[in-house]
Amino acid sequence: MTTAVARTAAEEAYGGALLPNPRLEDWKWTNLRTLIDRPFPPRRAVEARPADVARLVAASPFAAIAATRLVFVNGRYDAAHSRLANGSVVATKLTGEPILDMNASFADDGAQLSLTGTTDLPVEMVFVATAGEARTIATRNVIEVAAGAAATVIETYLGEGDYLANSVGEYRVGRAARLDRVKAECEGPAALHLSHTQVTLADGANFRDFTLTSGARVSRQNGTCVFAGAGAEAKISGAYLLGGRQHADTRLVVDHAVPRCVSRELFKCVMDDQARGIFQGKVIVRPHAQKTDGKQSSHGLLLSETAEFDAKPELEIFADDVVCGHGATSGDLDHDQLFYLMSRGLPTAEAKSLLIAAFVGEAFDTIAHDGLREALGAFAAGWLTSHRRGN
Amino acid sequence: MLDIDNLHVKLADEDREIIRGLTLSVKPGEVHAIMGPNGSGKSTLSYVLAGREGYEVTQGSVTYKGEDLLALEPDQRAARGVFLAFQYPIEIPGVATMQFLKVALNAQRKARGAKELLTPDFMRLVKDRSAKLGISQDMLKRPVNVGFSGGEKKRAEILQMAVLEPSLCILDETDSGLDIDALRVVADGVNALRSPDRAMVVITHYQRLLDYIVPDHVHVLSKGRIVKSGDRHLALELEEKGYAEFEKEEA
Repeated sequence: MTTAVARTAAEEAYGGALLPNPRLEDWKWTNLRTLIDRPFPPRRAVEARPADVARLVAASPFAAIAATRLVFVNGRYDAAHSRLANGSVVATKLTGEPILDMNASFADDGAQLSLTGTTDLPVEMVFVATAGEARTIATRNVIEVAAGAAATVIETYLGEGDYLANSVGEYRVGRAARLDRVKAECEGPAALHLSHTQVTLADGANFRDFTLTSGARVSRQNGTCVFAGAGAEAKISGAYLLGGRQHADTRLVVDHAVPRCVSRELFKCVMDDQARGIFQGKVIVRPHAQKTDGKQSSHGLLLSETAEFDAKPELEIFADDVVCGHGATSGDLDHDQLFYLMSRGLPTAEAKSLLIAAFVGEAFDTIAHDGLREALGAFAAGWLTSHRRGN
Repeated sequence: MLDIDNLHVKLADEDREIIRGLTLSVKPGEVHAIMGPNGSGKSTLSYVLAGREGYEVTQGSVTYKGEDLLALEPDQRAARGVFLAFQYPIEIPGVATMQFLKVALNAQRKARGAKELLTPDFMRLVKDRSAKLGISQDMLKRPVNVGFSGGEKKRAEILQMAVLEPSLCILDETDSGLDIDALRVVADGVNALRSPDRAMVVITHYQRLLDYIVPDHVHVLSKGRIVKSGDRHLALELEEKGYAEFEKEEA
């Protein structure tokens, strides 16, 4: 069915490309036609003041941890702030999905990493947007982890001012390789963040993924994890720390295409004020993917009467010898727990903070690297302090 | 230390009165046992003293160390030395027992204007107290009450009491769910805390606990008020005759 609609100003700025509308099932909760409420022209150059860049780059929760850092300023590789590695323009294009199509049209730069050997030293890709005219910043990264290798890769998004960040990442994890990926979406409060991450796992690969979603007024993050080789394992988790009128939508597809793979998804989402969190998780088990073990759970913690959490778990199972399950919950803080903590001397605000930190902490446990887990714990504690209220 | 005068309490969202004119006076150093059948208002009394929401005091007063206890928030009561050992301790996933003890102790010290305890001093304190209660280091690392057996939960409550060193300890059915060995460990833990400036209110259904924690005064609670008071021999009498006689008198 086609419907004639007037193009929005944003769509005009994108050369007439249509943005997804809520009649598309995958986009029913995130209407980009209204959320992208003004033009964000692509490839608009803004002057970045070095002091701003330095400040933003230093704001990464992992600034002191990453050994290799690739810094992208307003979508362009910044050699001066990067260390030890090179970024390069990536030529491959993924298409067929709105965020991918947008990226294919507008991305000019990004990192291409080939990771070999085994190391615990994280590689950080930092994407900063400096204050300037409203614009779309698109980057595309391709990361390959060689067979038998082990790597930790961080994606950090920071910025200020009015911009739309479009980020696509393609991760290929080789046979018996291990990849730990940590993403911190800490975009500026006026920003929009649209991302698509595609992960392909070869046989015996081990993938651990954690995404913190705390920045941007609107974020939509797509993730696709394809099991291409038998016996691989994926643990995908995330935490939302949202307030104000923030809107965060995660759409995850785990595709069990081959036998004997294990997937675990755990999302712990905290929403305060009028924030809205959405988690859509689909698990596909294809006909030959016997002995699949897949579990998905998403939990919303609502700190105000006006916050909202929507969860849509979907299981599409075409094999008969599988173990799959999902669970979704949503609620406010447990009053008995709150009373128990207070009866031991914790003031209301402190008791609430402790319970919220414990709630999201479970998702942080997916992160194997102690330093990264602690850095994110500290970030969460900072968020709680700034959101702490008396009742 | 604690003066309860003609206390009347009802559920906040129901008209049913649960405590109906309760008067009790507890002096420092004393151990009072409150015994009564199910539904007599024992647990309600403990919750009202600790400040749990959901109850409404319609009449009477509770004075603690000269202050109106009912005007204080639960955390303020805790900081002033009121401690309730829960009948059903609450599980707090994601918060290690050790961490919980530390934030609780330091929150109370902060409220009293004292400095936070240094980590080595705190560790020493917990190690000493937990050893006496047979609580392992492993248990201290586990989340608060999560996966604890009934006996472990009760021992953990007494450990909290021993670390926080309150002036008024309210023990709500601390004996329920304990076998005889666990009961002895818990009672030893409680007895170690008996002191001239600390008072205890021990709420129990059975006299068994009072063989180990010997009370100075025993009160029989029935239908929301104290119908008889005496010394420890009253508990033995109750064990023999049951509560039926008091419930009849009351009616």
